[in-house]
Amino acid sequence: MSEKIKNKRIKIEDITNLPLELESQKKASQEKIGSVSEGKLKLYNQQKKNVDRFRELLSEKITRQLASSMVACVHCGMCAESCHYSLTRPDDPKMTPVYKADQIRRIFKKHIDWTGRVFPKWVKARSPVDDQDLNHLKNIVFGTCSACRRCTFNCPMGVETALLIRFARGILTDLGIVPEGVFNVSRDQWETGNQMAVTEEDYLDTLDWMKEELQEELDIPDIDIPIDKEDCDFMYTINPREIKFDPRSISHAAKIFHFAGEKWTMPKWGWDQTNFGLFSGDDRLGAYVAKNVYEAAVRLRAKRIVISECGHGYRSTRWEGYNWAEYDQNIPTESVILTLMRYIQKGMIKVDPAKNPEPVTFHDSCNLARSGDLLEAPRWVLDKVCTDYREMFPNRRENFCCTGGGGLLSMAEYRPLRLEVAKVKAEQLEATGAKLVCTICHNCVDGLTDLIKHYKLDMKVVQILELVSNSMVIRMP
Amino acid sequence: MSDLLRILENEFQIIAISFLIFVYILRIVWLFRFKSSKEKTYPEGNAKAGIAYSMLNVAMPWTMETTRKKHFFYIQFVLFHLGVTLAIGATFIIPYWPHLFEIKAIVWIFQFIVGVAFIVGLFRLYRRLADASIRLISSWDDYFSLILMILYFAVAFLAIPINYQRSEWPLILFFALTAFFLIYVPFSKIGHYLYYPFTRFFLGRTMGHRGVFAKKKKNRSTEGL
Repeated sequence: MSEKIKNKRIKIEDITNLPLELESQKKASQEKIGSVSEGKLKLYNQQKKNVDRFRELLSEKITRQLASSMVACVHCGMCAESCHYSLTRPDDPKMTPVYKADQIRRIFKKHIDWTGRVFPKWVKARSPVDDQDLNHLKNIVFGTCSACRRCTFNCPMGVETALLIRFARGILTDLGIVPEGVFNVSRDQWETGNQMAVTEEDYLDTLDWMKEELQEELDIPDIDIPIDKEDCDFMYTINPREIKFDPRSISHAAKIFHFAGEKWTMPKWGWDQTNFGLFSGDDRLGAYVAKNVYEAAVRLRAKRIVISECGHGYRSTRWEGYNWAEYDQNIPTESVILTLMRYIQKGMIKVDPAKNPEPVTFHDSCNLARSGDLLEAPRWVLDKVCTDYREMFPNRRENFCCTGGGGLLSMAEYRPLRLEVAKVKAEQLEATGAKLVCTICHNCVDGLTDLIKHYKLDMKVVQILELVSNSMVIRMP
Repeated sequence: MSDLLRILENEFQIIAISFLIFVYILRIVWLFRFKSSKEKTYPEGNAKAGIAYSMLNVAMPWTMETTRKKHFFYIQFVLFHLGVTLAIGATFIIPYWPHLFEIKAIVWIFQFIVGVAFIVGLFRLYRRLADASIRLISSWDDYFSLILMILYFAVAFLAIPINYQRSEWPLILFFALTAFFLIYVPFSKIGHYLYYPFTRFFLGRTMGHRGVFAKKKKNRSTEGL
């Protein structure tokens, strides 16, 4: 890529030695918030034997799938070729996925695996000695991996490194040994049911505001954003970021649904399809948030759940959430991309690609591409609503992370490293020559916007709802 | 043939292989003792097709970016494992079907592939020592297993022509090493082939269920809606 910016090389010790920040935990303890007193949100306690507890949790939580990934790695190092951290810092041996996974694997070997228990030094098995070691592990699993799963797809053995990272995160979350951002977002989602602490009043006001704006813009007084309407064709769930920072995405959706003649609703409670449990590794939080959505759909007798543009939200709500909550799926759950595709396929909305003439490329969100199989649908839609679509390489399952995945956007302390390793993504983006990069993930919007600014790229991030909304051909009666 | 070699080729191997099977059974039981997760979602794809795809992944280098780009690494992998297969095969051919190695062409093929695997082994050892990121993750077991394999290929190369008359030592060494392998493998990284079906099964099942693995009809998600 053109050398627009000289990255300041981060010393990895500056990341791995970051201390455990406890300000927010102290505040939560003083305020005796519900999730803490009910034991849902765990606080760090220096007096406790955290290393022993870590070991116990490791034994309690490990599944067969994780255990096989613990023992199967042959240390071939192939994963290093696939990770944006190790590709950007090839001379830093601590950036390879296998090194990061080995930090939890060595504890497993020491306490659970055979050879490691008898001859620990032979297989590099080692237990953490104190809380300092656990904090070091925290910085590795939260700060040096976006859990994009690219390495898993490039592992000849099929080792699920991203799941091992999430597993380690989950145990540390149970001990309160987490970055402040992770604690804060988890607290908000436990306390308010959404990860940005949006109050019900703010939520309803914003929807009302969007509705009024839409009515004015289109001069259609009966256009609606229905709330808690029963027996609809679908219940639409969103990312709280849409309420806080990007409410236009809701009005784009409402406009499209209106012209498609849909009978739809949004729930008053259970509207947050994002799920910080995926990032923190806390399955209980994951179950709680996902269940809120599933139960809202049951309460409203919706025939389908539609998930707005969000990578981890889609993965959590469509796939992981049902399993975390041990909740049998009872209605279809789909991404709004499939809804849009259906509208265009069936002629329920008319689109004109000439209305989006700028060159546009598509960024595959990791959670949608590698964990959710939404590869062709967004491309199909973009082909219908844009005139100049340019593929990014590599793409689909091989695309690189926006570098803000795995909850990293909420962990400010790791931002310098995140932006340094975003060089791979920046090069990918620049090579397309596109002016717009479209993504169907709100997390990726922020991740990409951050790196575009950092690498001074001449691009803007858009989402597919906006492009479809722009391209609509509306014929008023 | 000396008594030592006869016992090494037969009884000793049977005891060692019985031990390997016994430990493997224990190992599989051990793995099955970890809890399994249940799938609660509607499928988008086919779990069985995903498992098949995942299991065969190793034979489809074009499906992985790393093997697609690193041809040399993949060829090395194939030759190394082919060498392992033939060396193991030789441990059965020599005592039970020695006449096969009376055919010169077969001996040459075996020796050629085992010889190439030996060179690949040396290259792998060099890589493990020279590459800082591989060195950092390598344990004594990683080094020992690799050196053992290199040694095994060398000894197999010498043993395959079955020349009792000239010297029995290559055969004695070959079968002694084989027995050692059979006992050591379940406790070392060499036993990774036992775990391969597990990791690949789980990955294939999840990804097949979600429609990520294995080819499927285009735009299937909107059908019937």
